[in-house]
Amino acid sequence: MALKRRTTMTQKILAPLDGKVFQVTVKPGDTVEEDEEILVIEAMKMETPIFVPCDGVVKEVSVKEGDDVMENDILAVID
Amino acid sequence: MKPYFEKMTTFGHALKKGRIKCTEANLAGIEKAEDEIKEEVDRVKLAGFSEEKINARGQMTVWQRLEYLVDPGTWRPLHTLFNPMNNEEGTTNVIDGIGKISGKWAVIIGFDNKVMAGAWLPGQSENILRVTDLAKRLNIPLVWLVNCSGAKLTEQEKFYANRRGAGTPFFRHAELEQMGIPVLAGIYGTNPAGGGYQSISPTILFAHKDCNIAVGGIGIVSGMAPKGKFDIEAAEEIIEKAKQFKAKPPGSVNVHYDETGFFRYVFEDETGVLDGIKEYMKDMPAYAPKFFRVADPKEPAFPIDDLYRLVPLNPKRVYDFEEVLARLVDAGEHMEFRPDYGPEVYTGLCKVDGFLMACIGNRQEYLGKHYPEYADYPGMGGKLYRQGLIKLNEFVTLCGRDRVPIIWFQDSSGLDVGDAAEKAELLGLAQGLVYSIQQTDIPMMLLLLRKGTASAHYLMGGPTANRHNAFTIGTVASEIYVMHGETAAVATYSRRLVKEKEAGRPLEPIVEKMNQLAKEYHEKSRPLFCAKTGMIDEIVPMRDLRKYFVAFAGAAYQNPKSICPQHHLILPRIIKG
Repeated sequence: MALKRRTTMTQKILAPLDGKVFQVTVKPGDTVEEDEEILVIEAMKMETPIFVPCDGVVKEVSVKEGDDVMENDILAVID
Repeated sequence: MKPYFEKMTTFGHALKKGRIKCTEANLAGIEKAEDEIKEEVDRVKLAGFSEEKINARGQMTVWQRLEYLVDPGTWRPLHTLFNPMNNEEGTTNVIDGIGKISGKWAVIIGFDNKVMAGAWLPGQSENILRVTDLAKRLNIPLVWLVNCSGAKLTEQEKFYANRRGAGTPFFRHAELEQMGIPVLAGIYGTNPAGGGYQSISPTILFAHKDCNIAVGGIGIVSGMAPKGKFDIEAAEEIIEKAKQFKAKPPGSVNVHYDETGFFRYVFEDETGVLDGIKEYMKDMPAYAPKFFRVADPKEPAFPIDDLYRLVPLNPKRVYDFEEVLARLVDAGEHMEFRPDYGPEVYTGLCKVDGFLMACIGNRQEYLGKHYPEYADYPGMGGKLYRQGLIKLNEFVTLCGRDRVPIIWFQDSSGLDVGDAAEKAELLGLAQGLVYSIQQTDIPMMLLLLRKGTASAHYLMGGPTANRHNAFTIGTVASEIYVMHGETAAVATYSRRLVKEKEAGRPLEPIVEKMNQLAKEYHEKSRPLFCAKTGMIDEIVPMRDLRKYFVAFAGAAYQNPKSICPQHHLILPRIIKG
């Protein structure tokens, strides 16, 4: 009988633009579903929501509300 | 042109679980706001006497007449909440919209006979002129349900005279007729003075047996000899005359059917009048839809209810415009014009009910560090930059050439500003867009999805394009202002703040004024305010938006004044390359 190996993939969520973290709606351990909003970056008077690209569990939230972020900074990690 | 239009490029995606999960609050917020608007609409519908009371008099209400007249499921109301002079009646006293009668689109308007027997009220002529403009723009018949008791005499100074006053619609009717656009009128009740001209100015008059139309009615006839004052003797004389004319009002069917022949037909029943209009509408000039359709009609690829999750009620929140568009056009298919240029605006050809329509909308997302190319700052959707303006100029011009009607989607915070923007010629390109629109002769409609701000509200097919904008619809997320209220407060009070600071005076009073101004901006930009003042012609529930697109497309292609053969279209060839 072949053994099934459970594999996990880690997905880093990167900032798409420079700005300030306006809102964080998840914490480590939360289960998230594909295309769910996990935080919002405010820049140029607009709020850009950040969606997760896959189902998973939030492994890490690398920022908090009020933080300044640069494009490509890691915002969160999804397992 | 099958290869171009039968199966176009698909776009958009089905909503995923995560998006559904995180947009519940947005959905609830929009639905709640739509319920509040519906309450306002219901209040207008219930204005004046009750349906029971009108029916007890042997009459139908204007709403019942409309329901009988208009093909089921095709009524698209406009101006329901329009009340620019803040009438205590809560209405301008005309009900109008687009609908099909006997399978053909018409602009339809009727006096609300529940309210002062359909009197002229302040703001009404402006409402009517919007309606005559609509028939003119779409080149489709105007159908009137006349039931007009004349002016509300106690407020005549607000609407009787002036350039766009109560008499102006009679000239517009003449203008429509001279353009070959018929005006059909079903006539009910007592229509003296202004009501008489409302009745006589249309092209064909369908009269109910109890109606009358006259240069002057009972009130005028009774009071035609002013004596400088009223006394008891005069009052007795008035009573005697009034009784006489009440028994036999001037301009009845006996006069205007039997003697003058103004009435083409007279009907025993109220519904007979409407049947007469229906019969005539069958013969109105109209192309069969197949003449202009480029493909079979198809429903959008994704549920329209998705809009409640895709369009954020929060005006600062960005979203994906193409996902919205994919819920509104046939089969989620399009041909995008210049996708690699001017990324802040979408321009493309889509199908609505099988008809070719041009769609233009503001994208909302971050545009990257290297755009706009002329500046050292990054671009954000919702704004217009040099490339976007050039693309819009090109696209509109080509739509005019190809005779493709345009649906504009507006959600813009305005144009880029500053010296870099000036050097990039934005001012000239913006007015160039006005020029481009004006040199076309195609119908346009605007969906004000969220923000209409600064000059972008004019440039992007707004109602200020008088000759082109057939109508403007909004959503509960719509807001219109020259700039955001807080921006306006800063612009107004920044120097004053400096002065007060330098003088050592307290800043609190100025800060209070700034907050007050921002609050006023907010209140005067809300959808209800916009609809009441006419900045938006109707606030439409998101799930009904496509119905207006279908009405616009069908009406625009019903009897166009100018045609471009499909095989002569240049836009699809340019897009294909």
